[in-house]
Amino acid sequence: MQEETRLHAGGRKGAAAGARSGPAARPAARRPVADAGEGGQASARIDPKVAGPGTERSIVALKHRHLLGILGLAAEEITLILDTARSFAEVSTRTIKKVPTLRGKTIVNFFMEPSTRTRSSFEIAEKRLSADTLNFSLSGSSVTKGETLLDTARNLEAMAPDMIVIRHKASGAPHFLARHCRSNIINAGDGWHEHPTQALLDAFTIREKKGRLKGLRVAIVGDLMHSRVLRSNLFLLETMGADVVACAPPTLTPVELSRLGAQVTFRIDEALEGADVVMMLRIQRERQKGGAFPTAREYYNLYGLTAERVKRARPDVIIMHPGPMNRGVEIDSAVADGPYSVILEQVTNGVAVRMAVLYLLAGGTLGGIAG
Amino acid sequence: MAGLLVKGGRVIDPATKTDAVMDLLIVDGRIAERRPAGEGKAGLPAGTKVLDARSRWVCPGFVDMHVHLREPGGEHKETIESGTRAAAAGGFTSVACMPNTDPWNDSLSVTEYIVAEARRRGVVNVFPVGCVSKGGRGEELAEIGDMVRSGAVAVSDDGRPVGNSYLLRMAMEYTKIFGIPLIDHCEDTMLSAQGVMNEGYYSTILGLKGIPKTAEEVAVGTDLAVAGLTGGKLHIAHLSTRGGLDKVRQARRDGLQVTCEVTPHHLVLTDRAVADSDFDANTKMNPPLRGEEDRLALIEGLRDGTIDAIASDHAPHHQDEKLVEFDEAPFGITGLETSVALVMDRFVRPGVVTPARFVELMSRNPARILGLAKGTLAAGADADVTIIDPDAERTVDVTRLLSKSRNTPFNGWTLRGWPVATIVGGRLVH
Repeated sequence: MQEETRLHAGGRKGAAAGARSGPAARPAARRPVADAGEGGQASARIDPKVAGPGTERSIVALKHRHLLGILGLAAEEITLILDTARSFAEVSTRTIKKVPTLRGKTIVNFFMEPSTRTRSSFEIAEKRLSADTLNFSLSGSSVTKGETLLDTARNLEAMAPDMIVIRHKASGAPHFLARHCRSNIINAGDGWHEHPTQALLDAFTIREKKGRLKGLRVAIVGDLMHSRVLRSNLFLLETMGADVVACAPPTLTPVELSRLGAQVTFRIDEALEGADVVMMLRIQRERQKGGAFPTAREYYNLYGLTAERVKRARPDVIIMHPGPMNRGVEIDSAVADGPYSVILEQVTNGVAVRMAVLYLLAGGTLGGIAG
Repeated sequence: MAGLLVKGGRVIDPATKTDAVMDLLIVDGRIAERRPAGEGKAGLPAGTKVLDARSRWVCPGFVDMHVHLREPGGEHKETIESGTRAAAAGGFTSVACMPNTDPWNDSLSVTEYIVAEARRRGVVNVFPVGCVSKGGRGEELAEIGDMVRSGAVAVSDDGRPVGNSYLLRMAMEYTKIFGIPLIDHCEDTMLSAQGVMNEGYYSTILGLKGIPKTAEEVAVGTDLAVAGLTGGKLHIAHLSTRGGLDKVRQARRDGLQVTCEVTPHHLVLTDRAVADSDFDANTKMNPPLRGEEDRLALIEGLRDGTIDAIASDHAPHHQDEKLVEFDEAPFGITGLETSVALVMDRFVRPGVVTPARFVELMSRNPARILGLAKGTLAAGADADVTIIDPDAERTVDVTRLLSKSRNTPFNGWTLRGWPVATIVGGRLVH
């Protein structure tokens, strides 16, 4: 019996508008599954499958109210978001980079952790969709005065926003908000848990470059243990049929990672061998104090991505990084700025992908995008 | 005091090897006589009241040897009054309360306060557990002799492991003077390193910091070795891992004086509950919910006798403290009012443990470990009685619990087998 834990996808909408049948009988995606029958009564809370195995249909609307994580999203939903993002990418190339799609909607960007890229990306996406936005960050907020997350959430809620985009240092904070708020919640990164829009923009970038996700060999290298980018990418890539090899020193590898579907190695050369895509993860310097590696210098020697090492990958490899980079620690500047790098394209694509997510969660449908 | 006749129940008292339908006559707070069922009113003292116990189980009063009553200092979470009411509702006639109050119960004055407050407002027997070390800081021994004189029945720095192996040795030597057990929370805090849930598949999925099983196993190993060195009485609190349990089983074969307890939640839930509940802080406790392999091992320990006692580790927290991010929430859940029903529903009714073994786990063994003259319905014993309806079905509803706190993962669970009456010293307290 395959059961999925009801983890991340959040509440489901009542009815999926206008689902039509499409090419059937694509093989069901592999994805992490929970042990069948484990645990007590709590295991009764299982999300029904969005689509049964072998009955994958193309859809035009999202079935979820929130985007709390990638785990729990079906392949067809991921495809829908990526297809929708493609339509929105064009908007950003216009002279007037704005569509009226979310006019009258209020979106709160609730960022309880420092962020430049993700926050500005969401904000630009919201503005290009004509939403009214409110930025709310740690410094200068009442959180520094000791207000709890619950009270902050209730106060935000009292102003009736339509959506809350949350970045928080605690894993599960978006789920907490989803339990206590009526707004649509979008996870913009929670602790070490998930960063779903990052994985979506990464998938979008890969698809633009490679034309597909299925069957690609994707190496993810760096601090696996503390990375929400790893988890979201792993769930997404596994769902879409890519092969993931995850690489880190054993001190930065979470236990039982291979049960989530990744091939796990602590040898970078092995990870890079034949890779179509290499994703580098940021190494935070405080991990060294935590004893995970002796010095940044030794980390670079053992795991840094150099032009020499890139040669093991396929000749048409693309190099990705979610940022911010530590040049000379996990990645050499020659690689970061080199011909294989798509790091800045990731940032560009982030806007389109976030526009797609906001639009779809607001109830939009593919094909219904206003010019 | 007038008599009370508990009539027609199935009396289950392993201490006297009894399991039979009979009447129990209580006079002046003691078990006066056990009579064949249906023997009329002849010979009963005048004014004897009758409690109909037909189709009920009549057991020696249950003893929860590991609870947190939070008083003094944490009265917003629980008080001795509210906690003992919860205990009575949950079928417990005696509780042993842990010393991590504010101030810690590390001196005669705090122990005396607890004992006095329990006399004033408590509805069940309260047996304080004193600190091993001053302030629970793990540096120097507390005045254990003073605390024992004022009523402490054991020592522990619960919530924390005993500071270091030298202090542990000194404490295990020193407690021999009093013949009391040292109760240890076994955790190598260097290994648990601020983790918030069991380290495993689910911590990896959820991106929460894991507490490896090894943190418990290492500490159990150290404790057993020191117990062997000193010959002191060691009791291991809330055992949660297969590895820890195996070590206890082996030590016991080697002839060591060691006992252990397990909580209902570690027997019923696994770390999957953290995922299934979407990070609900009511699935956060220490030791954390472990994997299925551990849960099954603990059940085996119930069966084969390695586990001596079931204790709830009742750890009430105010909802303001628990309604926060998972990382920020304090460890612990309430247990006094769900413990008996969980064990009845999951283990006794399905036949995993026999009713007699159940009574040993809930009453006789914890009483024996703490050196209490409790845990039996023999003639002359204190009339502490727990009466259970093995067929009653009820749904846990946090809004109806008597504890001041509501932090339980079992809200909404429908369970069969509930305590229906609790008698303490001959008085019906619930």
